[in-house]
Amino acid sequence: MAQLSLQHLEKVYDNKVQAVFDFNLDVKDGELIVLVGPSGCGKSTTLRMVAGLEDITRGKMLLNGKDVTDAPAKDRDIAMVFQNYALYGHMTIYENMAFSLTLRKEDPNVIHTKVLAAAEVLGLTEQLNKKPAQLSGGQRQRVAMGRSIVRNPQLFLFDEPLSNLDAKLRSATRREILLLHKRLGATMLYVTHDQTEALTLADRIVCMSMGHVQQIGTPLELYDTPANLFVASFIGLPPMNFIDAKVESQGLVTSRFSLALSPAEKQALAPYMGKQIVLGFRPENTRVGSDFELKVLSNENLGMNTLVHGHVGADGKGERITCKLAGWCNYRAGDVVPISITRKHFFDKETTNAIKLEVEGV
Amino acid sequence: MTDLSVKNDRMRFTKDKRSSNLVLLAIVFDALYFVSLYQTDVGNYYYTWKIGASIVYNLLLLLSAFLCAEGVKNRKTGYTGLLIFLGVMQVVRMFYLPAQAVNATVTVSGVEIAAMERGQYAYLLICLGLSAVCCIVAAVNSYVNGKHLAAHLAAMENKTV
Repeated sequence: MAQLSLQHLEKVYDNKVQAVFDFNLDVKDGELIVLVGPSGCGKSTTLRMVAGLEDITRGKMLLNGKDVTDAPAKDRDIAMVFQNYALYGHMTIYENMAFSLTLRKEDPNVIHTKVLAAAEVLGLTEQLNKKPAQLSGGQRQRVAMGRSIVRNPQLFLFDEPLSNLDAKLRSATRREILLLHKRLGATMLYVTHDQTEALTLADRIVCMSMGHVQQIGTPLELYDTPANLFVASFIGLPPMNFIDAKVESQGLVTSRFSLALSPAEKQALAPYMGKQIVLGFRPENTRVGSDFELKVLSNENLGMNTLVHGHVGADGKGERITCKLAGWCNYRAGDVVPISITRKHFFDKETTNAIKLEVEGV
Repeated sequence: MTDLSVKNDRMRFTKDKRSSNLVLLAIVFDALYFVSLYQTDVGNYYYTWKIGASIVYNLLLLLSAFLCAEGVKNRKTGYTGLLIFLGVMQVVRMFYLPAQAVNATVTVSGVEIAAMERGQYAYLLICLGLSAVCCIVAAVNSYVNGKHLAAHLAAMENKTV
């Protein structure tokens, strides 16, 4: 297995478009890192640079301490699983999985042993004589993973491997990838635009936007203490609500309501006295209370919770937000519901960076 | 698993390309045979029902040999009998048209000439011989592999491997 170090990685295409800016990451042995971000944020480009499929314009890539920045893809001992599986349709599953080793002219008996072992791990033993067309999407993706496993590479790369699967299969395959990672103890780099995948799979998440790394941290860190407005809005479903507010001596004043601040919050917001900031709160950090009124637009029952969409203020003209209230609620459009915020986030309006509190969790 | 049992186990997932390729090679040698034979134009010696029968047999051989190639590739031992038959028939054919023609003479424009030259005769014998060898070796190879595979599968079923 491998330790990977990406130092000041940058990618500039021939047409002068820069896709990745100053990317720095140290991946520990056996770690599963998820690169997450919207389409076009540079996550796949970064993965392709690691794989050797794209040249690295600037920066350095070390694999187990060895500089492989300019090494060709075939010499990096890295396996990549693609979104579209890239299986050979005319070959059986066994032949697909054995193909890379056959090309290397490895001993057929060794190839056989490795393929059977990988098939066992992936639950594909019964499918080895079938062709890819006879398998489901999830099984095909497992074959693609098996093809990587038999090579026993130092590093596994996954480029949106679940994007072609339906929701149910995606969830099942996600669990399988997680089990596989635990079983193999392999170092993995996984790219996705799906934040659910990122939160459930990752040891650490790299959140990217417009080619820049926005935040690197554990799933909980990204969810609980987002570094900026982008991360706060991208991580979490439904996304975080944002309301412009002004810091004043009595507390936080928005166009529709005022909020009292705790001593720690007051201390953190002291430099912003008299200035505009952004107040953020997650839908799940709300409950029926007394901080402000919400004029209901729609009500979605999820069983244990209810998503209530509406506008801040009884007149229904404030910011549009979503609240996730406990239990089964039956609000109708036009109802006015009193809401309290149980956990607040603050962001600098100019830099969009989070305003850190001295004591987290306040 | 020992090396031998791994080798046998591999047969569960791999095709018998060696046997299959040998049968395809037999077809190639047969094609060389009939191309040479049918372009021979010495008087009207060859224009009898014998050449018709030879053509029909060649078509049957091409078809059945190709079926056998696919069969043995998928490790179906049932095709080995047909392959042996085809191999033996190639040997028998040596004594049919080539052997008869090389000993026959034809009168063309009042001149008596051999219906087949010695050189062509040797060439045809070599083609048929090689075709026969390919068929028989493919059959034996397929049969032996098939037996090993069957024994291995039985052992797997009895959990002795």
